[in-house]
Parts: sequence; structure tokens; C-alpha cells
Amino acid sequence: MSQTRLENKRDPFRPVKVAVAFISALLFLFPIIWMFFVSLKPEGTAASSPLDWFAPPYTIGNYVDIILGSDVFLWIWNSFIVGFLTTVLTLLLTSMAAFAFSKMRFRYRKALYLFFLAGLMVPGEAMIIPLYEIIGSMGLLDTYAGLILPGIAAPLGVIILKSFFDGVPNELIESAKLDGCNDFRLYWNVVLPLGKSAVAAVGILTFIGSWNNFLWPFLAIISESLYTLPVGIPMFNSNYSETYILPMTVNAIASIPVIIAFLVFEKQIVKGVSFSGIKG
Amino acid sequence: MKKLTWRDDLRPVPFLIAFFVAYVLFTVYPIFKGMQMSLFNWTLIEQQDFVGLAHYANLLKDPNFWEAFGNTTLFVVLSTPTMVILALVLALMANLNTKLKTFFRGSFFLPSILSVSVISFVAIFMLQPYTGVVNNILQAFGLDKEPFWLATPSLAWVSIIAVTLWWTVGFNMILYLTALQGIPDELYEAAEVDGATRQQMFWRITLPQLLPISRLIFLLQILASFKVFAQILLITDGGPGTSTRPIILYIYEMGFERYDLGYAAAMSYLLFMVLLVLSVIQLRLGGKEGRLL
Repeated sequence: MSQTRLENKRDPFRPVKVAVAFISALLFLFPIIWMFFVSLKPEGTAASSPLDWFAPPYTIGNYVDIILGSDVFLWIWNSFIVGFLTTVLTLLLTSMAAFAFSKMRFRYRKALYLFFLAGLMVPGEAMIIPLYEIIGSMGLLDTYAGLILPGIAAPLGVIILKSFFDGVPNELIESAKLDGCNDFRLYWNVVLPLGKSAVAAVGILTFIGSWNNFLWPFLAIISESLYTLPVGIPMFNSNYSETYILPMTVNAIASIPVIIAFLVFEKQIVKGVSFSGIKG
Repeated sequence: MKKLTWRDDLRPVPFLIAFFVAYVLFTVYPIFKGMQMSLFNWTLIEQQDFVGLAHYANLLKDPNFWEAFGNTTLFVVLSTPTMVILALVLALMANLNTKLKTFFRGSFFLPSILSVSVISFVAIFMLQPYTGVVNNILQAFGLDKEPFWLATPSLAWVSIIAVTLWWTVGFNMILYLTALQGIPDELYEAAEVDGATRQQMFWRITLPQLLPISRLIFLLQILASFKVFAQILLITDGGPGTSTRPIILYIYEMGFERYDLGYAAAMSYLLFMVLLVLSVIQLRLGGKEGRLL
């Protein structure tokens, strides 16, 4: 842990700093806490001032209504399937490519790597119109495949994983080869397990990215049965103009899996963010 | 080193082919397809007439385009410095040596992983007049006025920037936190031996050590801010009027509401050029950490 020396030196302002940090942290959590309080209020009761939060009545009736009367679980399922398949395919494709770039010598290796790297500079957001046309002409609009495929060739994954695989000692590779390991087993049984922390970090970032992706599903999905969570929520909300309590319950339900996942995977998420910033 | 044979060249093929195909199909091909579409009157019903550079000529005369471009630029100019400075302040707080530091880090980062749909919806109802939490709290502190956050252009911008800050600043904070923890202890120990004060240590050690990462965060943030879309669509839908409409929203409206895909593609292409230039600058100036090779 760095900076401990600095911290240990007596700092007269330390209590003030901790207090300011504490208040800031509460400010960041405030809207999320508010969302959960509102979702527990019966329809028609006040939830607008913080004082209302701590005054009964509370109910879990909204949750029951939403679970029985909306497609929120279908959206969660769609987001999960799309996120899961996107993540698995991305990890497979990027780690295989990273393995080749890290552990094989072949002509035009550097040129090909640069060609892939250049993809970092192509902003998906500016490519939605041609992408829509391409996916459409492939007949994949409004399908799972159409949601998943555009996201799987992410150069950032290749870069992060290659830099990790570079750290796997070549002596290990050579000795595995002497034992008769073919390229595929070398990749699957030797290199991939040694890079698993990086693979996990890339995987989690990919999953979160897909789970929260808004723009592409918003364009590519027409059928309500294929809505992912970020698209389903606004569509649901727009049916309610008078009240916000039921929509807030949908938002709360949508956030619970993410918050749990965050508490479980915080380390890997933080690691993934650090990689992605430093390398790209 | 022995000379590479065709056998060596074939070895990586099974490992690269799938990525290569997907990459060419969904990253490289759209660039050329977009260029082609921008030269046609391209509608959803596949009516395609070649119009050359007419879309680009029209774009340069389109006041709506310039307004959207100006809005996006305004967002970049206002949000980038706040995003960087606030991220540093939050990282310093999360790096305080207390038992609460995990709580601080978690709280600052948590909004970043929530869906933009959730974030935007919560924001709309917190900011609404008369019954919104924000106005209620401000009035508890003595504000007489009833601010219409999302119905007044300048306040709508303040709201969008504040929401974006809340939603995404945690990402930059993590980058700063990682960098802070990477500063060698010896630097502080040496400074302490020399009798440096805490302020001196901050200005002479911490900040200079953070310079490369700051440059990188700044450039990444400009790129990210230029692509602003979802939270504006969901919170103000570009309003009031068109005063908060960014470029991507205008592209979306042209392409998917007015079905003028050719014109939208031309606009996308201009945005692509701007972002490409910014990316190249990022790769050149991003410092050792930002340079990819």
C-alpha cells in the first residue's frame, strides 16, 4: 500500500478530509438510496422529500406488481444471454488472437497487429448507420445474433491479453512443446490458465459493457420479446406519465443484480478498468 | 533466428481467423460502407441514387447540424475539466488511509455500472419541479425560486453535466487511484527526511507523478464526451427545443426518424473524422501509458 508514510505523518486536517469524503460518498449513493425508498412506497404516497423516506407506510406490493405484471425478468434474461454470449465469444476470439501475437513468429505479424490496433480508433457510435445497414442486409436485425456479433471483435481485449501472455515465460512454452503439446493445448492448458486474472478482468468489463449497452440494442431490436434491460426500462417508463413509483420499482429490480455483482466482483472490475485505461 | 517458412506463417491462422473475420466485417467494412452510403440518397426502402458530395455540401449549410455540433462541443468543453479534476479529488479521498476507503471507492464507482436508463430515470424525477427531491432540498436551504431544471436550456445543460459526472466520474477515479497507489513510497520517505511539508509533497511529488495519467484521462474523456448521446436522449430528448441536442442524437433522428440514411451517414462520417483526429492525438500524446506500442 503506497502513501502510508504520507498518511502516517500527523495531518491536522485528516478528520476534515475523512468527513468530506464521507459526505461525498453519501451524495453519490443518495439517488440510488432514494430509488430504493421510492420503490417501497405505496402508490400515491409522497416520496419527494427525504423526510418522507423514513415515514411509513412501506410496501413490497410494487415488487409483486412488477414481477407479475411486467416483462422485467424477460429483459433481465435477454440482457444476460446477450451479455454472456458476447463475453464468451469475445474472450475466445481475443485470447486466441492474443496468443498468436504473443507466442508465434510469422511474417507480417507486426503489420497485422497494427491493423487490429487501428480498430481502437473507430468509434462505434459514429458507425451506427452503416452497421445498421450491414446487419440488416445479413438479415440479423431483431435477432440475438444481431445484438451480439457487432461487439465481439474488440481490439482492446487483444491488446490487454497479449501484454499478459507476453509475461508467460517462453521456457515454459518450450518445455511444454518438448512434452508434445500442440498449439491448441499450449493455448488452452498453459497460456490461458496463467493469464486468467486478465481474462477475468476483460470478461467482466465486456459483460458490463454489453449489459448496459443502450445505443445498439435501441436501434437493432424491434420485438418487445427481445428487449434488453436498458431498452425495456425506458419503453416501460414511457407508459406511465402520472406516477413514477412503479417505474422506479422496475429500475430498482434492474439494479439489484448489478449491485450484487459489483459487491462480489469489485476487485476484478477495478482491475479491468485500470487495464483498459492504461492500455487504451 | 531461423528463417520463417510458410509453415510458420500458417501456424497462427486457426487462432487469428475468427477474430479477423469479425473485425473486418463489423469494424473495417462499416467504414467503407458508411462512405458509400454518404454519397447516395439512401432510404430505408433501399432507394439509392448517387448524389456525390451533395450531402456534405448540405451539411455545411445545415444550421441544425452546426447547432448539434456546437452543443456537443459545449458539452466537451464543460464536462472534460470537471470530469478530470473531480476524479482526482475523489481518488485522493478514496486513497485516505482509513477503514472507510473501500466504502468511499465503492460509492464513487457504483453509479458507473448502473444502466444509463436507470440513471436517467432517477435523475428526471429527482430534478422535476414542485415534487422533485432536488428542489425540495434546495428550498429547505432557503431557495425561494422553483428552478425548472430540464425546461430551461442553461439549467438543462447543468443537469445533464451533473448527471453525467455522477454516472461516469468513478471510471476516471479508478484510473487515478491506481496511479496514486503506483507512486513509490521512497519518494515520500526521501521528502520527509528532507523535511518537506504535506503540501510540498502534494505539489512536488504527487501531482507531477500523476501528470502522465492525467494527460491520458483528459484525452480519453474528450473522446468519450464527444460521443454523448444516451443520457441526453433519455433525460431531455435534446430539449427544450433543440438546445441540448448533440450530434449523435441528430444522426439518429435523421437516420431513424426521417429515414434519410445517406444524410445521416455523411454526418456520421464527419463525426468519425473528428474522433479519428482526437484518437490519433491521444495515441501520440497519451504518454508512455497511452502509447500502444
